[in-house]
Amino acid sequence: MAESPALPPASSSDVAPPDAQAPLAVPPARGAWSLAPPENASATGDRIDALLATSHRFDVALALVMLGWLLVAVVRFRGARKVAPDGGTRRSRAWVLGLAVGVFGVVDGTLFLGSQGYLNDVLWNFRVPAEDPRTVRIEINAHQWSWEVRYAGTDGAFGTRDDVVTWNDLRVPAGVPVWVQLVSTDVVHGFSLPAFRVKLDAIPGRVNQTWFQAAREGAWEAACYQHCGTSHYRMRGMLTAMSPEAYAAWLREASLKAVQAYDADDTAAHWGWVWRTP
Amino acid sequence: MKAGAFLRSLWTTDPQRVARQYLWGGFLFLLVGGLLAMLIRFQWAWPGQPVPGLGWVLPESKGALTPPTYTAVFTMHGLLMIFFAVTPLLFGALGHFVLPLAIGSKQMAFPRLSPFGFWAYAVGGALMLVSFVVRLGPASAGWTSYPPLATSAFTPSLGQTLVTVAVLCVGVSAFLYGLNFVVTVVRCRAPGMTWGRMPLVVWGLFYGAVLNVLFVPVLAAATGLLLLDRVAGTQFFIAGAAAVGGGGDPVVYQHLFWLFGHPEVYILILPAWGMVGDFVAFFSRKPAHGYRMTAGAMGAVTALSGAVYAHHLFTSGMAPVLGRTFMVLTLLISLPAQVMFLNWLMTLWRGSVRLTSPMLAALATMIVFGLGGITGLALGAVATDVPLHGTMWVVGHFHLTMGAASFLAVFAGLYFWFPRMYGRALDERLAKVHVVLSAVLFIAVFGGQLVAGYAGQLRRLYDPYQYAFLSHLLTLNRWTSWAAFALGAAQLVFVVNLARTLGWGRAAEPNPWRVGTLEWTDAGPGAVVLRGPHALSQPEVQEQLGRDWVGQAEPLPSGAAVPEPVAAPVPGVEGAV
Repeated sequence: MAESPALPPASSSDVAPPDAQAPLAVPPARGAWSLAPPENASATGDRIDALLATSHRFDVALALVMLGWLLVAVVRFRGARKVAPDGGTRRSRAWVLGLAVGVFGVVDGTLFLGSQGYLNDVLWNFRVPAEDPRTVRIEINAHQWSWEVRYAGTDGAFGTRDDVVTWNDLRVPAGVPVWVQLVSTDVVHGFSLPAFRVKLDAIPGRVNQTWFQAAREGAWEAACYQHCGTSHYRMRGMLTAMSPEAYAAWLREASLKAVQAYDADDTAAHWGWVWRTP
Repeated sequence: MKAGAFLRSLWTTDPQRVARQYLWGGFLFLLVGGLLAMLIRFQWAWPGQPVPGLGWVLPESKGALTPPTYTAVFTMHGLLMIFFAVTPLLFGALGHFVLPLAIGSKQMAFPRLSPFGFWAYAVGGALMLVSFVVRLGPASAGWTSYPPLATSAFTPSLGQTLVTVAVLCVGVSAFLYGLNFVVTVVRCRAPGMTWGRMPLVVWGLFYGAVLNVLFVPVLAAATGLLLLDRVAGTQFFIAGAAAVGGGGDPVVYQHLFWLFGHPEVYILILPAWGMVGDFVAFFSRKPAHGYRMTAGAMGAVTALSGAVYAHHLFTSGMAPVLGRTFMVLTLLISLPAQVMFLNWLMTLWRGSVRLTSPMLAALATMIVFGLGGITGLALGAVATDVPLHGTMWVVGHFHLTMGAASFLAVFAGLYFWFPRMYGRALDERLAKVHVVLSAVLFIAVFGGQLVAGYAGQLRRLYDPYQYAFLSHLLTLNRWTSWAAFALGAAQLVFVVNLARTLGWGRAAEPNPWRVGTLEWTDAGPGAVVLRGPHALSQPEVQEQLGRDWVGQAEPLPSGAAVPEPVAAPVPGVEGAV
C-alpha cells in the first residue's frame, strides 16, 4: 500500500506535457441530471449518439410498459375473487411468444442493424484511414500512468531519428482521419477519448488499432478506463485538435528538435515499430 | 454444549443445517461487502475527505481513503459480494434448504459434499478477512484480477495471493454444491415428481447448478494459473511486460475469466428467476402462465450463457468476426428473457394478487431486474457498447441485475421460507417496509450510476473529478451516495426484524402462505407426487377441500385428477384418472 502516485515521466521532446492538475479550457458542463453523453467532437460520433438515443427511447418505452402492466395488474387484481385455474390458454401463450419475438425484432433488430452499419462504415472499416492520403498515424504506448505518444515526424516513417514523442499530449489535425496503434508496456490499460466515442484496450504483447476524425479544433481529455493500479485515476491526457496547417508546423518543428536531441544509446526511447497494416 | 459436541455439530450432513450455516456466513460477508460499498460511495461524494469514524483504521490519513486504500476497497467489495455473499446466500443457504425438500428428498445425493463445500467456503472467507491485514496490504487489482496487474510484478501484496487462493476455495465450494444439486435433482426426486412438476425455483437452482459445474472449473483454471504466475514464477499471462518479458498472453486470462464471469451472472439470477416465477403464481393464486415455456426459456438462457461472454471484450481489439458473432448471440439472449418476463406479467394479470412480503420482494426483483436487463441492451451491440464500456453505466446495469435483483430475491426467498427454516414467522410489516425501502433505494442508487455513466463517468476512479469532463457530476454522485447510505441504513429494519423474531417471535403456522409445494405440505416418506407446484384455484379442489390450494402429493377425497396446471383445461374429462 506504500506506492506513491507516479509523476508523468520526463518528456523526450520539447513539447511541455500538460499539467494534470492545471485547470483546463473545458467543454461546457452538461446537465448532471440529464442523460447526455459527453460533448461529441468526432466526425462520426453523432451516429453512435443517435443509436444510443434510440436505445434510450426503447429503454424508457419498455420500462414504462413493464411498470405500467405490473402496477395495473397489482392494483386492479388485488385480492380478486375469481381467477383462471390454468396456466394460460394456447392463445395467451401464443401472444406471449409473439409479443416477445415482436419486441425482440424491433428493439434488438434496430440496435443490431444500427450497430452493424457503424461497424461496417467506421469502427472496423480501416479502409477509410488506409485510403485517405491525409491520414495521420500515431503510435501510443501506455504506461502506469501516462500515455506516451509517437509521431512519425516529417519523413513519415516510424522508428527513425525524427520521430516525435510526447507524454499525455496528443496532437492531431482536425478534419482528417487519425489512425492509432496502441500497445502497453506494463499492465492492461484502456485508451479512451470520451468526446470521440473511442475506446480500446492497450494490452502488453499486442498491437491494437482504431481510428477517429476530429470534427473541429479544440482540446479534449483522454482517459484510462481499465483499472491499471493505484494512480489509474490520474492517467489523464489531453487531445488537441489543431488546424492541419498548425499541426504541420508543429510537427515540423518538433521533428527538427527530435533529430537534434536524438540519442542512439537511449534504447528506452526507441519503442516505435514499423507501422502494421491489418 | 460441550466443545466436542459443538465442533461435531459444525460438520453436518443435514442440508437444512448446512443451509443455515451458509445463511449466517453469507450475511456476514454481505455486511462487510456492504460497508465497503459505503466507503466507495463516500469517496465519490467527498473525495479524499476523512471518513467519519475511520480514523482508527487509517491513522496516517486521519480516516481518509487514499488511492491504494480505495483500490483495495473496491476490489474486496466486488469479490466479497459476488463470491462470498450473494452466490452462497442463493445456492448455499436457500438452495440447500429448499432444493431437497421441494423435490421430496430428505437428503442431498452426496450428503457429505455439503459440509465439505461449506468448509471450503468458510476457509476461503477466512482468507478474505485475513487478507485485509497482511503485509503489503489487501488485494487491489479489481475483482476481475486482470493480469499483468494481478501478478506479483505489479501487485506484490500478500493480500492479492490470499484472495486468489480464497477464490479457488470458493470455487471448490461452488463446484461441489453445483454437482450435488445436479445429481440430486436428476436422481433423488420423489416418485411422481416429474420434470414438468418441479417448482420453478428448482428449475432455476438446477440450471444454475449446471452452470456451476460447467464454468466454475474455468474460473479455477484462470485463478490457478494466475496463482502460479504469482508464486511459482510461471508466465502464463505475462507478455511483453517490461519487468519480466516472457511469452504468455494477458488476453487468455480475460477470455477464461469471462467464460466463467458471464455465466456467473446467470448463476446469480437463475434461482432468482425461479423464485419470481413461483411466488408470482403463489400470490396471484393461479398457476404460472406458460410454465413449460418459462422453464424452457430459463433453459435457453442457460444454454446461451457461455456463448455470449465475449461481449465483455468488445474493446479488447478482438477480430471483427468474433465481435459480430458475440453481438448477435448477446442480443439473442434477450429473447428468452422476455418470454419469461411476459409470462410473469401474464401470471399477475387476472390473478388474485396478495401483497405479502415474499410477493413484494418478488415484484421488486422483477422491476429491478427488468430495469437492469433493459439497460443492458445498449451494451450488447458493439457500436453502443464502445462509449458505455467501462463506465458507470455498466456498473449501474449489472448492479441492478445481479446486485439488486439477486439481493431482493434472496430476501423474497428468506421471507418465504423463514417460517419453515426457523419455525418462527418474521414480522410481515417490517419485512414489507424493508423490501419497499430497499427496492426504491436500489433504483435510486443504481439509477444515479446509470446517469453518471451515460455522462461518461468511468468506473473505478478514485477521484472522478480529476477529469474536467466529469467535474459537473459531483452533485449527482453526492445524491447517489446519500441514497446509498439510506439503503445501508434500511437494512437495519431487517436486522431488527430478525433479532426480534429469533428472540421473541411467535411460532409460525405450518403452511402460512397456503401453497402446495412439498416443503410446506410434506406428505411423509413414500408419498407420491400427483400434480404440479401451482395447483391453485382449481375448481375441483375448492369444491372438495374448501380451499384454493392442494398439496403436490395430497390425494383428493374423490380421487379425481386435478388437471395439470400447465395444460389448458379440457372440457368434459373430469373424473378421468
